[in-house]
Amino acid sequence: MNALARYRVETDRIEADVAAVTPRVSGRLRGDPMNVTVQDLVKTFGETAALYGVSLDIRGGELIALLGPSGSGKTTLLRLIAGLDFPTSGRILFGDEDASTKSVKDRNVGFVFQHYALFRHMTVFDNIAFGLRVRPRSQRPSEAIIRERVLTLLDLVQLPGLDRRYPSQLSGGQRQRVALARALAIEPRVLLLDEPFGALDAKVRKELRRWLREIHDHTGHTTVFVTHDQEEALELADRVVVMNQGCIEQVGSADDIYDRPATPFVFDFIGDSSALPVEVRSGQVYLDGRPIGIDAGGEPEGPATLFFRPGHVQFVNDDSGGIAGIVSGSRRVGDIRRVELEAGLVRHRFEIDVPADSQAPKAGRIAVKPTAWRLFPKDE
Amino acid sequence: MSDLAAAVPARMSRQSPTTESRFTRGVLIGVAIFFLGLFLLFPLLVVFVEALRGGIGAYFAALKEPDTVSAIRLTLLVAAIAVPANLLFGLAASWAIAKYEFRGKALLITLIDLPFSVSPVISGLIYVILFGAQGYFGAWLQSYGIQIVFAVPGIVLATIFVTFPFVARELIPLMQEQGTQDEEAAISLGAGGFQTFWRVTLPNVKWGLMYGVLLCNARAMGEFGAVSVVSGHIRGQTNTMPLHIEILYNDYQWAAAFAVASLLALLALVTLIIKTILEWRFGEELASAGRQGDIR
Repeated sequence: MNALARYRVETDRIEADVAAVTPRVSGRLRGDPMNVTVQDLVKTFGETAALYGVSLDIRGGELIALLGPSGSGKTTLLRLIAGLDFPTSGRILFGDEDASTKSVKDRNVGFVFQHYALFRHMTVFDNIAFGLRVRPRSQRPSEAIIRERVLTLLDLVQLPGLDRRYPSQLSGGQRQRVALARALAIEPRVLLLDEPFGALDAKVRKELRRWLREIHDHTGHTTVFVTHDQEEALELADRVVVMNQGCIEQVGSADDIYDRPATPFVFDFIGDSSALPVEVRSGQVYLDGRPIGIDAGGEPEGPATLFFRPGHVQFVNDDSGGIAGIVSGSRRVGDIRRVELEAGLVRHRFEIDVPADSQAPKAGRIAVKPTAWRLFPKDE
Repeated sequence: MSDLAAAVPARMSRQSPTTESRFTRGVLIGVAIFFLGLFLLFPLLVVFVEALRGGIGAYFAALKEPDTVSAIRLTLLVAAIAVPANLLFGLAASWAIAKYEFRGKALLITLIDLPFSVSPVISGLIYVILFGAQGYFGAWLQSYGIQIVFAVPGIVLATIFVTFPFVARELIPLMQEQGTQDEEAAISLGAGGFQTFWRVTLPNVKWGLMYGVLLCNARAMGEFGAVSVVSGHIRGQTNTMPLHIEILYNDYQWAAAFAVASLLALLALVTLIIKTILEWRFGEELASAGRQGDIR
């Protein structure tokens, strides 16, 4: 709590300074946005496959999120783009240039590690200067230029005056900023971040999120970050890549992902939703043999899964169709009250939202009809 | 309020479950200190008392004796070769074990420990069997006029064998705990292999490395068994300090024997002091290495 308070005071104090230096910084740091193309990427570790033929076009200057549960292959994909691992097959293009066989050393990417991987025996200054100092003599800037650049970057990441500190003397959020400054110092063509806010507490995470967006808009780097936090992905990224079990499920804007989920996985993974096993018969949707008053649209006949969000329902008269359920519980979630219902003989669970100020139905029967929904045919 | 005040001390006076009575505690500590004094401190004290029995002049005269000087010189030479050799090996082995996956890794870790489980006499004997006049390579070496056993090279080899594990055992757990992220970060920033090693890996393990070198050096200078087998005990030529002490002792030159012994004991004390300082200042970093079992 104390560290957070200190951190916030610091942030406030330097906000004005940053505003002053920002134009200078953006002119200096802005690189040419680089398209990154991933083609049919396959990666296996021994017997197990981590990626099954993934293809993705990342536009220059875009801020893109790789979102998925653990084990979905998102970090593997990021490390392949960075060159920290090599694909079993497939290609990675930086612009028009095939980078697949290049090592991470030659790809010129800025990589921010989940646990920052700051060099603990070096000061903040030396950490940020590292990438410049290890350059071959012919490309190495003079110490004076390195110094100016490091101090500029420290301003950019809002940590002026901390150049002599050691990583162990910094808070988590400050370390994250140093890690980003260090990655930006080498003028990377692409910026890659692995769970950039994963190790931070919720409050700092939200602040850094906004701040990363600002940095991205200033510097214009093509940026890819990995996260398992859907809120983070949807809020921060231009486009979100939803991954599951080594495959891409959907690529799209926050609106696309949330309002038009392409697969059952995306519907289930993003936001809250209920899924009911239904049957499509002659254009109507049946639950446990009862029509529920939903038009099946063009969906094929046979078993299917009906997805809808808890907020997208309206109450209907029990006799006029709809999904009838018996209230089994309710809980307060933020601004709304979520009611848990059990439908039909096999007690399919589903949830609906009611206003928080409405009386929580303790028991009894409620019938609802989804106002927005999606039907996915059963795989088998 | 007063009830509460009365209740608290009553509870406080109750012992924590793992604390014994005053008496038991006193006896345990007393026994420990008694044994420590009898078996460690007293002998150490005797070494210095005996060494200085004839006075300071006799002490330094004994140390200036040519065979003694030669023994000291040889010991320093052997340590100067064995310690850097094992430093290099230890770095290479721990780097390979901590940062890469390869077949036979478990076997390599086990093999590194071999010198600890083998009697030093056997360690020496191996080299006699290999390089001695009747050994496997004896005749071949002799035809080139190369003498290994009963000469300095044999002593160096035996010492390297005996001190093999010290640096590696210190670094392996340390490097394993640190993982490869720092190295990945360095490479992603454009550093080459050597730059990464020199600027990132080595500084990350430097205190652990110093600790290992320190222990390695203490053992290299103090090793008796293995060196005794391959040395041949030629005065002024193949006697290291420990061997020379034994010879002096067997010759009833007590004062001289203890004078040289006091030097070795001093080395042990200095090692201990530096070790303590390292542990005190960089305890956290060394802890992971110590947890794996302090080797000594």
